[in-house]
Amino acid sequence: MTVSTQPIIEATHLTKTFGRGHVAVRAVDDVSFSIAQGELVLIMGPSGSGKTTLLSMLGGLLRPTEGGIAVDGVEITQLDEAGLARLRAHKIGFIFQSFNLLEALSVEDNILFPAHLAPGGRAAGRGRADQLITKLGLDHRRRALPDTLSGGEQQRVAIARALINRPLLILADEPTGNLDSEKGQEVLMILHDIARDEGCSVLIVTHDPRVEDIADRVLWLEDGGLRDRKSDRHDWVRDPVCGMRVDQWTATLFAEHGGRRFAFCSQRCLERFEAAPEPFLDLAAASDAGAAAPET
Amino acid sequence: MLHWTFKALFARPVYLLASACGVAFALILVIFIEAVFAGESGRIVAYLEQSKADVWVMQRGVSNMHMATSFISDWKVAKIAKVEGVRKATPILYMNASIEIGGRQWFSFVVGMGGGDGRAGPWRVVKGKRQPGRGEVVIPATLARITGLDLGATITLNTKKLKVVGLSEGTFSMANSVTFVHAADLSDIMSAFGMVSYVLVDAEEGVDGRALAARVRDQVASVNAMPLKDFIASDHGLAMQMGVEIINIMSFIGMGLAIVITGFTVYSQTNRRRRELAVAKALGVRNRAVYGSVLLQAVCVVLLGLAIATALALAAAPLIEALVPLVALTIEFEALLKLGALALCIAAVSSLIPARQVLRVDPATAFHS
Repeated sequence: MTVSTQPIIEATHLTKTFGRGHVAVRAVDDVSFSIAQGELVLIMGPSGSGKTTLLSMLGGLLRPTEGGIAVDGVEITQLDEAGLARLRAHKIGFIFQSFNLLEALSVEDNILFPAHLAPGGRAAGRGRADQLITKLGLDHRRRALPDTLSGGEQQRVAIARALINRPLLILADEPTGNLDSEKGQEVLMILHDIARDEGCSVLIVTHDPRVEDIADRVLWLEDGGLRDRKSDRHDWVRDPVCGMRVDQWTATLFAEHGGRRFAFCSQRCLERFEAAPEPFLDLAAASDAGAAAPET
Repeated sequence: MLHWTFKALFARPVYLLASACGVAFALILVIFIEAVFAGESGRIVAYLEQSKADVWVMQRGVSNMHMATSFISDWKVAKIAKVEGVRKATPILYMNASIEIGGRQWFSFVVGMGGGDGRAGPWRVVKGKRQPGRGEVVIPATLARITGLDLGATITLNTKKLKVVGLSEGTFSMANSVTFVHAADLSDIMSAFGMVSYVLVDAEEGVDGRALAARVRDQVASVNAMPLKDFIASDHGLAMQMGVEIINIMSFIGMGLAIVITGFTVYSQTNRRRRELAVAKALGVRNRAVYGSVLLQAVCVVLLGLAIATALALAAAPLIEALVPLVALTIEFEALLKLGALALCIAAVSSLIPARQVLRVDPATAFHS
């Protein structure tokens, strides 16, 4: 992976406070970091630690209470709404946990949607869309509507959409959160390749420990601030549905059954478990036995 | 954005059709209200139009037939006939009266015609004769149909009994039917001996009606003379003036209803698309483009509603006229054009309803799963 030292995004003393007075909550507290071109950085942390708030500010969707954010050398906290919209359209690609495809548009039209916001419009984006469709294996689904796609396909479309305007930065919020382990792995490898091949910086907010394997750097966010993550804070268990390793410390998806608490890697696994838990209990018991010793 | 706007609009055709039908329901009310008044005001001047006289002469100070009374001494008819350019001068007696037909009172223009040549009489007779004699009357065929009368039946004008000898077409309206009697009978009823009400002037070939009217006014004392076009416009204007407040109020109610229906439709569509709008904003679409998308959808819904309303109105009008002969409907192209312009205003106003909603869509909510 080629990582340039030139920062694409630089956050300085970033703070976001919700509410006022004694009910004020500092969701993000004095966070500073930078991401270089082509770097793939992970932001991890427990639920409610401020990850999504931080991501929203970095994407120009939420104004910080204090601090600055420079994207490609431009201080975005000084931009007006129109300037922020232009920045998002031209320089940032978004990938959401729930895909957020536009339901009336086909795969191709969804991918081309941000192209009309860029110079050259849809016509200029068409060649790029063809390239991305082929690269992400969506050729046979080009005319399909989102509700006919699998979760993995939808996320690949979302990735293509995020890349259509050749952004400098991709911001991904739990990109594997609604995918099973196989599809999640596939999406991670695509994001990894994007950073490597396109020189695009990728910032991923996730609970998925698999992403650590492909990340250049992991930032640990806790109580709104960046902290050093302690390795003994891992609490590995097995997802009873897919058998994937899940860190209970960072996991967000849980279910109670028979007096026991299970952690899940994805919404899909959780839903399958909740629909019919019995078939997965044996696997869970076996996993418990195999994973009794904590992995770190 | 255009592509997305239209795709999103047509993605749920049943929903779109239901919305457009709601708008059409409101607009069709406006179309029919205007059609009824246009139809009625058209019928009010039907007699004038069909008279095909080049100039109408009446008492000085009078410029209408509708709701008017005019008396001219009968010796002036000969004087009018002698004015240069006059080919023929036909006098009529005229009164607004309530006539009793089939036990019910009907308001009518009553024309007393003499001469025996049928000039100034009914222009289309479907049954019986065109020229009533003494003690006879020609009534609208529609009125006869409604009341179940036929030739030979008796009606009452004031206290005078008259025998129905002819049924005319195109002379009926809710407000003013036209009934024809012999001039001598009407003179008896009105006690207007030696008087006529109006004189229908036919001009000689090539003579301009306006110039002829001016000559009649100059050469015959105490009369007003108007070319046919002006006389019709004056009567039509008076009729519309009498109904314009009602038309405006009813149209206002209809448009208010259309605004509410369209506004609700656009509001609920915006609400349904709230998440997609947030995603669009997150991807870099600006507020004004999002609002433009909402406005365009409102315009599409309203125009589709207008098309449905127009088609239904045009298809239903002849049916309604056949089933309810009392109603005269005229759907004018100009009225539809005006409604089209109003429909666009409706779309603009109704799209303001969710405008605040659009501005408040937080693009950061796109991150919420």
